[in-house]
Amino acid sequence: MEPDAAATGLSELAGCPVTITGAASLGAQRSTLFVDLERSTGIESAVAQISTGAVETRPVTAEAALLTLVGQRGVPVPTVYAATDELPGIGLPAMIVSRARGRTIPRHILRALPDRGAGDDLARQCGAALAVLHAIPPNEAPQAFEEVSATRFVELQTERLELLGRPRPAIRYGLHWLAENEPAPVPLSIVHGDLRNGNIVVDDSGLVAMLDWEVAQRSDPMQDLAWLCLRTWRFGSDDRPVGGFGRLDALVEGYEAAGGTFRVDAFEWWTAARCAWWAIGLAAQALAFTAGRTDAIMLAASGRRVPELEFDLLDQIRRIDH
Amino acid sequence: MFDDPDAVTLLEAMATTLSDSVVPALSGGVQHEARIVANLCRILARELAESGADRDMFAALLGHDGQLADLAAELDRLIASGTGPPNTLAVLLADVTRRAEITKPGYTFTDGT
Repeated sequence: MEPDAAATGLSELAGCPVTITGAASLGAQRSTLFVDLERSTGIESAVAQISTGAVETRPVTAEAALLTLVGQRGVPVPTVYAATDELPGIGLPAMIVSRARGRTIPRHILRALPDRGAGDDLARQCGAALAVLHAIPPNEAPQAFEEVSATRFVELQTERLELLGRPRPAIRYGLHWLAENEPAPVPLSIVHGDLRNGNIVVDDSGLVAMLDWEVAQRSDPMQDLAWLCLRTWRFGSDDRPVGGFGRLDALVEGYEAAGGTFRVDAFEWWTAARCAWWAIGLAAQALAFTAGRTDAIMLAASGRRVPELEFDLLDQIRRIDH
Repeated sequence: MFDDPDAVTLLEAMATTLSDSVVPALSGGVQHEARIVANLCRILARELAESGADRDMFAALLGHDGQLADLAAELDRLIASGTGPPNTLAVLLADVTRRAEITKPGYTFTDGT
């Protein structure tokens, strides 16, 4: 993608001159760029996301509509300025959103917290934001956001496991256990799907925004709380299950004070379920390398992270069965 | 191979060179990649020292010998059909613990609650 062509396309999308000032991240699926919008009222710093992945899970315009909806209902998210499924001159899906000011790099977030109380406050804020999200009637979300019940989740993971094309007995055991131990069905909510330390913006007063809604879905709200607490996102601080910064009790307090209902059995089940999901995801990244679809050493190295997730998965099952 | 140094020693030396000399001289994305490669060298050194352990564990669980790929496929099928041997979870947990300690030493020493 030519930077000049991208700037021209983004200018047409924004309806004003756009200058690309830097790259926030260049992921496998999307490039996130810092941009300046030259509006008649002055220059505004913003963020442009251009999808570069071959597989787009859903139209970016649907993601933009979801962001706008949840933002209006009080969930802290960037403001959508413009979105298109075909950026002029580039042809790729793109979205321009406001730039949320604060820290996004997990270790920076952890380092800047003055004490454990501040970490618990952040966990409460995350809980409250999730409760507001989960209270939005799910039929208001764009149709493109699929329903993923616990049953459907296990079906999807079984399909993903087959695509790996090689036996993984530990993950297989996990999926079999998940199918046999599903939590009682609940009405589905709009779920972020990837809320973790790494997709939040935090400043000195706490949570500023929740980012990256690419995998949002209608699902069991406990999925969001479980994923936020996965060991992978604690960065070694296992005594602070919520993103490495807060206690689970603090997350739950914030969630329930804002109207959410915490269901511990479902939370435990989704913890195992998302361990399985991430184990398969990491194995799939390694397969992309082995199959010659990427030469990124980081994706090859993902293959040696699978054992951690397999351990977390089976250890979680052992704890629940105990 | 009888040439010196052996593979484990060489991988450890490669990791040390990368971590102590190469990583500090780099920045940004390539520095991150060099760290990843150094870590992979350490993982491979530990892995080489333990090759064959999966096969032995699965063979003991299934009650017969075989190639690792065949044993893993058989165990996978048995689990999928709900007919895994009684001790399956314990053996799988021991195996993933062993492998996680190769890829991330110290990872499996949880508080045990």
